[in-house]
Amino acid sequence: MNHTPLWASESFWKKVAIWVTAGSFVLLIVLTFDSMSKVQAGSRRVPAYSVINQKIDYRFDAQLNRYMPVIGGDEPLFDRPLSEAEAEALVTLGKKTTQAKNCINCHTILGNGAYYAPDLTKSWLDPNWIDAGNRENLMLAFLKNPPGNARTYGTGRRMPHLGITDEEARGVIAFLKWMSAIDTNGFPHNFKTLYAQEE
Amino acid sequence: MIRPVELHDFLLSFFASASIIVSGACYALLFAWARLAGRRAVLAWAYAAYALLAASVWLLAETAHFEGYWRVLTGAMLAGYFVAPRAVFRLCSATHAAEHDEQTRSAISRPSQENPP
Amino acid sequence: MLNIAALSGKIQEAFGALDRHHLNGGQRLAVKYFAVAMILFLAQLLFGLLAAIQFVWPGFLFDLVDFSVNRMVHINAMVVWMLYGFIGSVYWFLEEESGTEIVGLKWGEIAFYVLTGAVVIVVLVYLLIQTGPGNDATRWLVNEGREYIEAPRWADIGIVTVMLVFFYNVAGTFAKGRWSGISGVLTLDLVALAGLYMAGMFYSTNVTVDQYWWWWVIHLWVEATWEVLVGCIMAWSLMKLIGARRRIVQTWLYIEVALMFGSGILGLGHHYFWIGTPDYWFTIGGFFSALEPVPLVAMVVHSIYDAGVHRFRSTNHPALGWIIAHTFGNFLGAGVWGFMHTLPQINLYTHGTQWSASHGHLSFFGAYATINIAFFYLAAQRWRGNVWMGGDLKDNGWKWKWSMILLNLGVMGMTVALLIAGYEQSFIERAVEGSTWGGYFAAQNQPWFVQAMLWRLVFGVVTLAGALLLTWDLLTIGAGETRLALVLEPEEELAAEPTVAVAK
Ligand code: HEM
Ligand code: HEM
Ligand SMILES: [Fe+2]
Repeated sequence: MNHTPLWASESFWKKVAIWVTAGSFVLLIVLTFDSMSKVQAGSRRVPAYSVINQKIDYRFDAQLNRYMPVIGGDEPLFDRPLSEAEAEALVTLGKKTTQAKNCINCHTILGNGAYYAPDLTKSWLDPNWIDAGNRENLMLAFLKNPPGNARTYGTGRRMPHLGITDEEARGVIAFLKWMSAIDTNGFPHNFKTLYAQEE
Repeated sequence: MIRPVELHDFLLSFFASASIIVSGACYALLFAWARLAGRRAVLAWAYAAYALLAASVWLLAETAHFEGYWRVLTGAMLAGYFVAPRAVFRLCSATHAAEHDEQTRSAISRPSQENPP
Repeated sequence: MLNIAALSGKIQEAFGALDRHHLNGGQRLAVKYFAVAMILFLAQLLFGLLAAIQFVWPGFLFDLVDFSVNRMVHINAMVVWMLYGFIGSVYWFLEEESGTEIVGLKWGEIAFYVLTGAVVIVVLVYLLIQTGPGNDATRWLVNEGREYIEAPRWADIGIVTVMLVFFYNVAGTFAKGRWSGISGVLTLDLVALAGLYMAGMFYSTNVTVDQYWWWWVIHLWVEATWEVLVGCIMAWSLMKLIGARRRIVQTWLYIEVALMFGSGILGLGHHYFWIGTPDYWFTIGGFFSALEPVPLVAMVVHSIYDAGVHRFRSTNHPALGWIIAHTFGNFLGAGVWGFMHTLPQINLYTHGTQWSASHGHLSFFGAYATINIAFFYLAAQRWRGNVWMGGDLKDNGWKWKWSMILLNLGVMGMTVALLIAGYEQSFIERAVEGSTWGGYFAAQNQPWFVQAMLWRLVFGVVTLAGALLLTWDLLTIGAGETRLALVLEPEEELAAEPTVAVAK
């Protein structure tokens, strides 16, 4: 009554489904352990939070054939060097603020999010801040009163009032600075930092 | 690891990847149709669609600078997208084999001869 | 207190009006889920339109209901209405598939009201409170600030609890009645679906770790567990709709699970190119996501095969029409649009542009809106007393036909507009200007982009018109119909024979 060959039978495919799913899942778990160990703060790919005490740049690496973060000499945020714990606390405040203010529903962060406003991945390094010496102050003023300091490049799109306090704004800036030092495998490509612009 | 697409190849690379999937689907559909309707001419069109797919894979490999491992992926796509539709069709007919007997019973096609008791 | 009691009485009464005596318990509950799903679908489109207007006139509702709020409500309403549709569909066939009554229907009812209440509160808080200070309380009470899963933590916990009730009903009812291939796959898939949600329920300062797990929820939902859940719903629907045989649909369900999970689980790698994770994900993500279109192509081939054999004879034309739309929409939106930007050489430029939005719209609509709508029609048919919904409907069925045309045209129009915008954006902003803020705005000011945003708005209105017509049709289709539904027999004898279980 049933001429179905084995390779087209229900029981065969049931086994295949189970094994394929289990196999893929186990592989994913193994890879997840490996990836997690390589992206902890303080690893080669994701720097320690205290990296905000240093100068960060992003340049083309001819050997790797892609852009790479370059961590340089001292350049403490708001001219105040922080301990590892202090830095982590400040970045944490910033990260929580980005979530509380829903930044990702206008901007992209590491390229994920919404497309109404610019990507924030390397915003710390953006030539838009013109002069590295004055950058923190500009960012601080902007975050505390975005519509008042809007630069819409003619689109008319302004960032709204989000009620970001002074302390929160400093945290956000620390978070952005730290994030710009993450090795993102060369994304964004061809990005010319404000240091490159200065040269 | 990867060499990004050149600016002037931009549109080509998107076009190539869309074309891979679309021509792959055309190949699959035409192949199924040829088998279902028993038409040789349609089968020729199916292979034409596959030729288009192969050309698109080549175009993508060129514009996206595939080298090393990515060449392997290219080969896998060529082989995989050739075999998959045939395998799917064989699976379709094999899994439906039982139904064809029974179909005679249901009102769907020809009058019944091998009606199961 | 009295007021609340009176209000909840009123609400129950309103939903009670949807009951029909010829529906079984699970189906009555399902109809409530479908009703809320439709309301949320309309809300989704409304807030999408507000956001789209802001792209064209940025001053619109500025500092009142900002883009971020509209967009959040837009995508959250989408996820929630689709989940409502899925839950409803499962409750719909639970009793027939298990051959027994639902074990905890009362609990299911309570869970429905709790969930719906929670959704209402969450949306009101999104709209009225919007943001909070950068501390833990905001994340727990207002907004988690992570795309798609913005629901505050209290709601997450509520959702998981409600899902547990749902899961208890599903697993418990099958255990009490009988298992089948469909119910086995369904039950295991629900475990995975709920488990994955929990991967998105913790906080991390490390943004790479944060996004790593965030993608577990988003990608492993839509490209793995949702696809399989839809496979279960389709398998059951096809038996009803075209009289497909159980052994065949179940074999195909397993084939689909193997192909979907085999490509989709490791296809997750296509989101790990640029978030700080190691570069071996280029290789893994590239390879497995290149395989992801294969099951979608297989589905298209299979449906053509079926069409050749069954000649589109069906008990419910609108439902079959939407199932066909699902097959092609899934293939186009996920398969073609997904593959176009999935290789890292290309994704380097398209990542985080309107390109993703183009793909997101066509894939979510094509894969998931369609199948839910198909099921709404199946439900409407039974709800009216299992009436005729084949060809020659009253009024020639113009409402379902036109709403289908308008919805597909609207979404396709938006998708193409966004594709043009995305192409322009990835070219100007990403490739030429290197993704600086200046580059971003240069791309946004490009005439092609500006016009694409206008066209997206126009086609958004078309989409909304289609959805309104769809709502009207669902409310009226089959009213006054006296002919009974077509009966397709070949199923009968097999359905009665209890199929041996996955989990036994
Ligand atoms: C029904 C299935 C699918 C749905 C609903 C879906 C939906 C989405 C959505 C909404 C996004 C944007 C996420 C965000 O907001 O950041 C996205 C991103 C993406 N999808 Fe899909 N998708 C599906 C299937 C696929 C498939 C099969 C592929 C590949 C063959 C694919 C490739 C991608 C890629 C590469 C991205 C990242 C885009 C970026 O870099 O910005 N998707 N998907
Ligand atoms: C009235 C029709 C619609 C309009 C006007 C509309 C508008 C929008 C807008 C403005 C965004 C924000 C994009 C950005 O961040 O730049 C968006 C995002 C999104 N919409 Fe819609 N939408 C509509 C219908 C739909 C439908 C029917 C679906 C799916 C069923 C959908 C799914 C999505 C998704 C998944 C996203 C997030 C995309 C991403 O992050 O890549 N939308 N929509
Ligand atoms: Fe994905």
